[in-house]
Amino acid sequence: MSRRALVVGSGPGGSVAAMVLARAGWDVTIFEKGANYFTDLSSDRPGTVFSNDELKTNRVFAEPEPTAEPRVYRSSPQAQSITGAVQPLPQTVGGGTVHWDAKTPRFWDIDFKKLSMLGPVPGAQVADWPFDYDEISPYYDQIEGLIGVAGDVSLFPKEPTLAHAPRTKALPMPPGPPEYSSLVVSKGCSRVGLHPFIAPMAINSREYQGRPRCDNCGFCSGYGCPILARVGALAPLREALRSGAELRDSSMVVNVETNGRRATGVGWLDDENNRHTESGDLVVLAANAIETARLALLSGLPDPYDLAGRQLMFHWFSEGSGIFLSERLHNYRGRDHTHDIDDFADPEFPGARKAAKAAGLPYFRAGKVELGGTQLPLDEASSYQEILRLLAPQKPFGTDFKQLMRSSLLRDRLCGIELIGEDLPYATNRVDLDPKVRDWRGIPVARITYGPGRSEIAAQSFYMPWLVKLLKAAGADVAIAIAELPSSQFPIAQDQVPATEHVMGGMPMGTNARTSVTDEQGRHHHLDNLFVADGAVFPTSGGHNPTLTIMATALRQATAWAGT
Amino acid sequence: MAVFHRRQVLQAAGLTGLAVLLPPELLAACSTPSPPTTGETIGGSLSVFDPHEAKVVEEATARLIPGPRDELSEAGHPGAREANVTRYIDTMLGALTLSPAKIFAGGPFSNRAGWPIDDMAKFLRLTPAQTSGWARRLASLRAQYRRGVKTLDKMAGGDFTAVSTDKMDEILAQDPGGFMTLLFGHTIEGVYSAPEYGGNAGLVGWHEIAWPGDRQPRGYTDAQVTLSDGPDVYVPKGIGEQLLQLLATSP
Repeated sequence: MSRRALVVGSGPGGSVAAMVLARAGWDVTIFEKGANYFTDLSSDRPGTVFSNDELKTNRVFAEPEPTAEPRVYRSSPQAQSITGAVQPLPQTVGGGTVHWDAKTPRFWDIDFKKLSMLGPVPGAQVADWPFDYDEISPYYDQIEGLIGVAGDVSLFPKEPTLAHAPRTKALPMPPGPPEYSSLVVSKGCSRVGLHPFIAPMAINSREYQGRPRCDNCGFCSGYGCPILARVGALAPLREALRSGAELRDSSMVVNVETNGRRATGVGWLDDENNRHTESGDLVVLAANAIETARLALLSGLPDPYDLAGRQLMFHWFSEGSGIFLSERLHNYRGRDHTHDIDDFADPEFPGARKAAKAAGLPYFRAGKVELGGTQLPLDEASSYQEILRLLAPQKPFGTDFKQLMRSSLLRDRLCGIELIGEDLPYATNRVDLDPKVRDWRGIPVARITYGPGRSEIAAQSFYMPWLVKLLKAAGADVAIAIAELPSSQFPIAQDQVPATEHVMGGMPMGTNARTSVTDEQGRHHHLDNLFVADGAVFPTSGGHNPTLTIMATALRQATAWAGT
Repeated sequence: MAVFHRRQVLQAAGLTGLAVLLPPELLAACSTPSPPTTGETIGGSLSVFDPHEAKVVEEATARLIPGPRDELSEAGHPGAREANVTRYIDTMLGALTLSPAKIFAGGPFSNRAGWPIDDMAKFLRLTPAQTSGWARRLASLRAQYRRGVKTLDKMAGGDFTAVSTDKMDEILAQDPGGFMTLLFGHTIEGVYSAPEYGGNAGLVGWHEIAWPGDRQPRGYTDAQVTLSDGPDVYVPKGIGEQLLQLLATSP
């Protein structure tokens, strides 16, 4: 009789783990809390009900229902709590990759060996990963082939990108069509000495493994792809199902059952809230960093050093917005954006070391900048609604509103850029269980306590002016930079739920059970057959989109477990 | 779109804390889980509003997003009345009385961009969590509408629909109990969302702002993505100029 593996979560980490285990002959069951919005997932061309529908997205179609399944956020233990949508990644079959922008940069050599290569930062728990870039590199290659990454590595900048994330293979597909607004902003970047390039992304530029070429519909980041030209987790999930894995959607795992050093199974609730148990020989947690930590805490997993849920990391998404009065940029067509710069992810960026020193830090980094993007009409209209309260309080509606809608200043004439800043691990940034708030099933929800450290604030202060500078160089008539992290310099974001959707840490990997929750294979230090396969295992957060690294890490880890 | 967060433009404009907070009614509901409730019993051709409520909502929303019948300056520019926003709001408030609930339109395509049938008209079955959340949300909204209409009537001396448009604007600008803000949000949805939800009649909302709407399965050509559409100069004036000045002088 084959051995039984239970995988919690059908997102990028869980799907990769399920694929590896199912192929190795394990009897795999995947539990997904959310609904399944796909049909015939094991076929070449699954169907879906995702569509070009802004209202459906704004009504929170695929993410946790914010009233029924809220989370709690507070910026410090003393701060006021906010209950509602807090880092709401999709909760559905496919997880975060259902609505992701599918940008697939690799983490850098200095991300995996941050402590050894860059050194400690006072107040932060900077650590090395248990493997280095060279070791993870072949797993990156495999995932890029599996999910179909389009791009041209010969166009990547030698410094800093290829110097820190060298490539030995071409990507499986050439890049898709560059987006006009990304080209405009790229020119601005080049003019001020930065190094824009076409970002690698898992969006088909040609038919790939039975899935069609992207048709540029434009409802991309934040939207489920209606034609599955962009998948992510669905690629390994399909392989898992074809290898015999069973997918149970609408099934919420609420605890891991243990006996001594063994996980013996899981307890789960069906859609009618009936409780069931399932026994297994191996349990994989991949519910995303916040929900995996919540599940560990709900289960009371052994945690002698009070580590579970700590060192939660968010990328900070500081923004630039350029408004162009001489033309419409038609940002609503095609991929969200097509070009990036990596310059600000480099700790040796000119002036960065000096600014770090002035802030009392040995070094700091921000991360990549995504060049291009805008908002759709409902969000645009809401922007005007709220801005009119300031500009025309005596009548904040009517013809003024309609004139703004026709001007399209904050849609068709807008080009957004987004800085994805590295967040260091701090023990005080954490997930725990809220003492009062419960979800619609009556289960305590995750409470997030998160505030930036000195490194993040110093890096944001240093790079914010660059966002304006490059937009102005691109020809923007008005350019603004908007902080994500609250600080005395940028007090405007105080006590807001961080807008990030990149969530990592909480169950970090490491070799020392006094400072980490999982070992070098993602195995729980105190439970020999319990593994974590999502972003929760990241010891540090890097300065790039994390999903490719979640998948490559899960592939490395699950390959090791499959033979246990 | 990930790259532009409305919340943060608001921060730039000095308006914070508006977008991500739940209203107090829902906050209270979060901490006391209860099984999903069924919607109120609703009859008539409108599912929720009585005829007077519908009339008040019609006139008020036409002040928020006016059309040619509401403002001389909007000749040729349809607004909430033309988009049938009242029907949109009534449909939303009564969405759970229909099966499947009219909350999430289907997919993957409508019949507007090269597909023979309108998949979006086939609404999707809600999950129990969605049913629970929307039952609470809509019960709260129905109560806010009942209360809000009464307040507008009271401020108008008995009947909001009987006063001048200037008086209507004056009342709405006071945002009594936050009702104008609530109504404006729904008016925006009714004008600029997909017509399957009950508003945007004849796609007037989308045509007004040159918005192509849903685009599958036709999509756009690579040239439409990569090339400039050519010059299209916006000369700053009026409220647009004020908005640009606000952003240019933001911190």
